[in-house]
Amino acid sequence: MTSFMPLTTVFPGLVWLMAALALVQGLRRAALWRVGAPASVAWLDGLAKLPRRYLVDVHHVVARDAYASRMHAVVAGGLLASSILTALAILPPLADFRPYWFLVALAFGVTAVGSLLVGARRYPVKQKRLSAGHFQILPFLLLAYAIGGTITALLLAFGAGGGVFGSVALALAAAGGLGLAYEVRHGPMRHAAAGALHLVAHPRPGRFEGRPDTALQPLDLNAPRLGSEMPADFTWNRLLSYDACVSCGRCEIACPAFAAGQPLNPKKLIQDLVAGLSPTEPAYAGNPYPGGRAAEGERGALARLIGPDARIHPDTLWSCTTCRACVEECPMMIEHVDAVVSLRRYETLERGALPEKAVVPVTELRQSGDPGGRPLASRTDFAAGLDLPRIADRETVDVLLWLGEGAYDLRYGRSLRALVRLLREAGVDFAVLGAEERDTGDLARRLGDEATFQALARENIATLAKYRFTRIVTADPHALHALRNEYPAFGGHYTVTHHTALLLELIRAGKLKPGRLPDLSVTYHDPCYLARYNGETEAPRAVLDAIGVTRSEMTRSGRRAMCCGGGGGAPVSDVPGERRIPDIRMAQAAETGAGIVAVACPSCTAMLEGVTDRKAEIRDVAELLLQAVEAGR
Amino acid sequence: MRIAVLLSAGLHPVSGAPVLPRLEAQAIRMAAGLGQSAEIVGLHAGPDAAALAEALGQGLPRIEHIAVAAGDDPVPALAARLAAITPDLILAGRRSQGGDESGLVPYALARALAIPLVSDVVAAALDAEGALRLDQSLGRGALRRVVVRGPVIVTCHPDAPAPLAYAYGRARRGRVETLAVAPAALPVSALAVEERPYRRRPKIVKGAPAGGSAAERLKAATGEGGAASSGRLLIEPDPEDAAREILAYLRQIGVLAPPAEPKT
Repeated sequence: MTSFMPLTTVFPGLVWLMAALALVQGLRRAALWRVGAPASVAWLDGLAKLPRRYLVDVHHVVARDAYASRMHAVVAGGLLASSILTALAILPPLADFRPYWFLVALAFGVTAVGSLLVGARRYPVKQKRLSAGHFQILPFLLLAYAIGGTITALLLAFGAGGGVFGSVALALAAAGGLGLAYEVRHGPMRHAAAGALHLVAHPRPGRFEGRPDTALQPLDLNAPRLGSEMPADFTWNRLLSYDACVSCGRCEIACPAFAAGQPLNPKKLIQDLVAGLSPTEPAYAGNPYPGGRAAEGERGALARLIGPDARIHPDTLWSCTTCRACVEECPMMIEHVDAVVSLRRYETLERGALPEKAVVPVTELRQSGDPGGRPLASRTDFAAGLDLPRIADRETVDVLLWLGEGAYDLRYGRSLRALVRLLREAGVDFAVLGAEERDTGDLARRLGDEATFQALARENIATLAKYRFTRIVTADPHALHALRNEYPAFGGHYTVTHHTALLLELIRAGKLKPGRLPDLSVTYHDPCYLARYNGETEAPRAVLDAIGVTRSEMTRSGRRAMCCGGGGGAPVSDVPGERRIPDIRMAQAAETGAGIVAVACPSCTAMLEGVTDRKAEIRDVAELLLQAVEAGR
Repeated sequence: MRIAVLLSAGLHPVSGAPVLPRLEAQAIRMAAGLGQSAEIVGLHAGPDAAALAEALGQGLPRIEHIAVAAGDDPVPALAARLAAITPDLILAGRRSQGGDESGLVPYALARALAIPLVSDVVAAALDAEGALRLDQSLGRGALRRVVVRGPVIVTCHPDAPAPLAYAYGRARRGRVETLAVAPAALPVSALAVEERPYRRRPKIVKGAPAGGSAAERLKAATGEGGAASSGRLLIEPDPEDAAREILAYLRQIGVLAPPAEPKT
């Protein structure tokens, strides 16, 4: 070949050929996304923001693993730079300018170093969370392309093109390069193409704008099919997002259900959605669902995804606590929880296939506005002996205290009593809805029963419209998330504050004068729906610091905290596992040696307090603050 | 097989909202369990069809709503419609749940249509010859198997399998047809009904001694003074012997079939 054409043309030609092959392979893959439902995408806006989304948002996640971050910067940067520079050499002035080829060789050299870093994660022993399969040949392809490219570029730089050595080097580069391009359809390189497109057409662009775009998207209850039964029911940009998965396994390390041995692995779930769409997808080569169920069932755009005999077992679906830990950790910005809820919506709304133990709470929610079927008027029973004003008796009030489901719980009643006493102490003008407060419908929504959620949301919004208040304060992060982020879609716009944020305000305004409790050693457990869903991690810690406790942090804290197992209807679905999620979390708390685990959510209180043999006490932040205020008198 | 499920206008025991009574939701599950080929229809007679969508969501594909003025007796209209569609099985709940229902409609219909009624059924199955095999609850876990043929009214017991989940999509797909049915001419029932406020009464223990010490009364109430006290006391028995004794006892009280008969 070199005898017909100079190497300075063939080498750039190879890169152009790679680009063409990658394009063809990419288009073959993209044809599959077209079966998805339509979605409105702000293309120009997304394209303009792509560099920022990649360099800031993606990097922020990738950088949590310093090695992976450096590896990716070197190998991806080198690969892109060397390929673009070589491709540009198709222009004769550049091709004939020998120092240019030194630059190219340098870029290939960087790629080669990156390839070795890629290989070191997989050889001699693969890191446990990574997938094998096609990913295991990636370092070889990269190395072949990089070394072949380096040698070819160096030969050109020294003006020694041609000859047997040059041909061998070029052949090596061609084998690696074309291999990489070929892998754009089914292999590891798909993450690059799909990932970039996914960042442009992301279904939740808000998460790149610095606000927590975590509200579930409302479902049109008049749609022909409710939820997702098959891959074709997902919107096309969701199908694209699943193809962006690079099988790094960060999600499975973060997943509480996976850690508890329940049959859920977020990586495998996403890969099942990928494989469900494409019958020719190579076999999955990562960690299986705990329990090791083999993938079975039909594949294709119109194949059923959920079922005992389908690709995803219903137990996998119902194991999810919707804690968003997987979403938080995903460097490809995939929205796993949205996929789970969409699949649950089909199961619940179209098939009535809720887990058996979840049927009663959801039925009671629909029929009586409370998952326990308890009288709404008895929600305020916890406050017997406390003066708890009803908003119906008041013209206007500053703070509407939303009690939530926790009020029925005897243990959590203690936390709420502490909160009410603190509000009294600080002279806050507050009232409760009393018997007019219905459940926010959070449980129904996470379990896929969108119809019940929407009915409850409308009833609550109608109730709230009757009264005048400045803001809603609640101690339940699940209610907070629903009221603050999910009710606006149904016409309810409120200022919603978590009780820890209000208590901090009151301390800073000098309305609460807590004493100091230096003898207490406390570790704070972040509720998922406060920290991850709403990005609030500082107020509870500031309150704890204000009362002078000795505070230590668990290894997983803040936005990366581990779930207590209480969200997403997981306690009522009760899918069996090898361990219990709250036991794992309490073991992590015990590592800090703290005698008290501070909580700020009724679900966390119930889950963590239910751990047997626990050494630490479970106390709500409000309870600790009340103790400090009483000590300070 | 044609199955009609009678739907009443119940209220939620706590919230008071019009809901499908749980027993009727269980009846729908029982009907659905009788095979894919069964043609199931819900039947409601009353002034409005507000809570019927819930029955659709439980899995009934079709509901016939017979418009009856508020306060009117639904039995003649139901009897006329049931006589027209001649179902092989009519399922109903066993008691009312908070609404205007009396709990007596299945009995009144059985009399009007002159067909048998089997009450308190926890399970229904179809045997090979097309007869219905019903397990009737006798209370305290005891069951009686009843095999019936031909049209029959069956009332559902709370111990029947729990209701299936409500599915909004099914409620959306199902249809409620409002019919105007000429009520059947039935002899006016001379049922004298007296209404008075509910008063909780102490449970009367059968054969309880009026006098005696508290311990004796407790013994009588828990059954230890009766058949149970005549049991054999085995101290640290061989596991084999213990198992044999337990089996013998279970056979004696009728929980297990006698050993000679083949197991069903």
